[in-house]
Amino acid sequence: MAAKVVTLKAPELTLAQKLYLPEVFKGMVRTLGHLLRNLIPTFLDEFRALRKGWGDPLTFSKIPTIGYPEGRRGYSGRMRGRHILKEREDETLKCVACYMCQKACPADCIEIEAGEHPVLAYEKYPTKFEIDLLRCVYCGYCVDACPKDAIWMTRDYELSFFDRKSAIVGIPELREKPADTAPGGPGYGYRPYYGESPMKKAGEFEPSGLQLLPALEKRGMVISAPPPPPPPKPPAAAAPPK
Amino acid sequence: MSALPPGAKGRVPACAPLLTRRFPANVWIEARPDADIPTISVPDPGSLLEVMRFLRDDPGTAFDLFLDLAAVDRSMLRAPVGPRDGNRFLLNYLLYSVKRNEHLRVRVTVPESPAVLPTVVPIWPAANWFEREVWDLMGVSFSGHPNLKRLLTHNGFVGHALRKDYEAGQRWLCTEEDLLPTQLAALTDAEEDVFETTTVNFGPSHPATHGTLRVVLRLDGERIVAAEGECGYMHRCFEKMSETHNYQQVIPFTDRLNYCSPMLNGNGYVRAVEDLLGVAVPPRAVAVRVILGEFSRIMDHLVCIGTNLVDLGALTNFWYAYQPREEIYSLIEACSGARLTISYVRIGGLAADVPENFVEWCRSLLPKIRARMADVDGLISKNRIAMKRMRGTGVVSREDAIAWGFTGPCLRASGVPFDVRKDSPYDIYGELDFDVPVMTDGDNYARYLVRMEEMRQSMRMIEQVLAKFPSGPIITDDYRVALPPKEMVYNEMEGLIYHFKLVFEGIKVPAGDIYSYTEGANGELGYSIVSDGSGSPYRIKVRPPCFPLFAAFEKMVPGGMISDAVATLGMLNIIAGELDR
Repeated sequence: MAAKVVTLKAPELTLAQKLYLPEVFKGMVRTLGHLLRNLIPTFLDEFRALRKGWGDPLTFSKIPTIGYPEGRRGYSGRMRGRHILKEREDETLKCVACYMCQKACPADCIEIEAGEHPVLAYEKYPTKFEIDLLRCVYCGYCVDACPKDAIWMTRDYELSFFDRKSAIVGIPELREKPADTAPGGPGYGYRPYYGESPMKKAGEFEPSGLQLLPALEKRGMVISAPPPPPPPKPPAAAAPPK
Repeated sequence: MSALPPGAKGRVPACAPLLTRRFPANVWIEARPDADIPTISVPDPGSLLEVMRFLRDDPGTAFDLFLDLAAVDRSMLRAPVGPRDGNRFLLNYLLYSVKRNEHLRVRVTVPESPAVLPTVVPIWPAANWFEREVWDLMGVSFSGHPNLKRLLTHNGFVGHALRKDYEAGQRWLCTEEDLLPTQLAALTDAEEDVFETTTVNFGPSHPATHGTLRVVLRLDGERIVAAEGECGYMHRCFEKMSETHNYQQVIPFTDRLNYCSPMLNGNGYVRAVEDLLGVAVPPRAVAVRVILGEFSRIMDHLVCIGTNLVDLGALTNFWYAYQPREEIYSLIEACSGARLTISYVRIGGLAADVPENFVEWCRSLLPKIRARMADVDGLISKNRIAMKRMRGTGVVSREDAIAWGFTGPCLRASGVPFDVRKDSPYDIYGELDFDVPVMTDGDNYARYLVRMEEMRQSMRMIEQVLAKFPSGPIITDDYRVALPPKEMVYNEMEGLIYHFKLVFEGIKVPAGDIYSYTEGANGELGYSIVSDGSGSPYRIKVRPPCFPLFAAFEKMVPGGMISDAVATLGMLNIIAGELDR
């Protein structure tokens, strides 16, 4: 079992090949074969569509061409498209502004500013989280680097902008979910997993470390900011006359 | 210190006794780790030419193929690499002996001033552009060089970009006066100008160049009298950028080198770092790398053949060649998450496991590739017109191909059976049964046939790997190299610490340097990496297989027709991303 060297020789042309005309017909058979194999099933699809209406996927045709934008290529669950920031159940961002994705980014396209979260248990949160989608190379390193499962990628790939400013997306845009948000559904793309992960076993992925709030609550720990100060008491009524 | 220092262990060149006897004072033998290539140093630049001539001509050394010239600015280097003589620049000449199948690195140091070395262009013509690149980016000049001017940058550029005291991110305006003047006037004989000749720009944005590269042609009618190639239009500072990022962050950049076969670039890069680290890769990851690498090679060859046939007027073949390529892209997307810029490999393994139906998917692709290849084969291989266009054009003899530093399919089409997968097997290529196709004609038709046959051999390899596709982990469990699994990061303190250190500090690669080479789609793809022990590479030099091919293009086309030059350029398969880095 090893590599061997084989010497190729340029083929000698037969008389028929030199005459050329027979070869033209052989080539025509090949290309016309492709044409008919592509055309006939397409016609069948068209007739079916005329009777039953448009919009169904093609059944007979195996043409590899995709009629974009009516037809679209299906992408895998690992497609690395537009980013989203994940939210907790109470709709706060999972992100704790640890700067790991910013550090891991090879294109330096993420900019984070951290602030103190009003909910004490969450400690830190990003007051600013901006991704410059024109700089981004969609490598997925931010997803790999996130220790809190806070940033995912989606299968949204049609990203075009009218100016450079609108390509820098902030927290509101990053909260926008993809079209179908079922867990593992077609909207989400590249997510943190590899090897044997719970996601692969159970079909979805919810890391246990994120159930922070109920766990702390159970233990009776401080979980939220002190309650807002009570409304100022109405001025004491005049002392009742004696 | 003429011979190996006593007690030193490691790899030494097979010709070490010969060199020691011949040059007792002028050649130092260096013991290298097994993963690296044998190395010698020439302490006195004055004797460089003598040593180099001996290395090429003596039958006991016979280093006839010039691979690369990798220069290192050692001014910020904390760990010693090369001779400790305090000189600022270290130049590594990388050579290969076709006859004896051995690589060799020759180290020479140059002080900061005068940073001058004698040129080796008379010994290896392939060194021409490599020396120009070193002059351009490192500021080491070569006395006696025939055409020492900037290569990747322009005349308006101030400084030398790869020097350590050059700050990254500076911009220099290129005005019309700063364009590099061509030498065509000097190249053309006055007597040939009896008839009017014209100078034509072919590129940098011509559809038939398949990339941003420029060739200035001097034409007599449709016949080319002289040609001059120019590159650098797509220079994206890969090497400088790598120095400011850590080892993992370089992987996405490697996708943009040869963008027709991104998996092969990543394979080569992580292999170099893994060799430097001494980390073992799980067998499943190796198998996936080989399978997707061979699929990438098929894609690269399909692009080369398909687009080249468009240039020859055979448009139909383009559709046939691109159809399986799209399907391979879908497979790669399902593995990695992107069709082109895949970033799938990681140091120590892969980014994610392959989809569950990977083996069946790969198997289902092979008949589709074969069917479309049969279409191209049936239309072209014995087509009289295609043969007339390709046979006898762009001929490179065996001697010229070696002298100009060809590797890969172009070298094999000229009759030299050099294939890294066969001659120094890496990954699992040593266990695979495959043929290395060789042709002796050296013309465009030979390059076409060799590529067609290589695709068939790649499919044979894929079948063999799929037959015993291993299970198991896809990345090493050494968490100083690979990110720990997410469950560990979320739930365990220790996992989080490993994760944190790896993201913030990068992989700590031990100090030293290495040259690691794999078979890219266009030839030997080498990475010279110098590490100073920190998380970022100190210096990365890529040996792009296209670079010597395009450098030789200007010598191949004179005398031929301009339309044949297009065919030759396409069959050399110049990828601008890899050429300019």
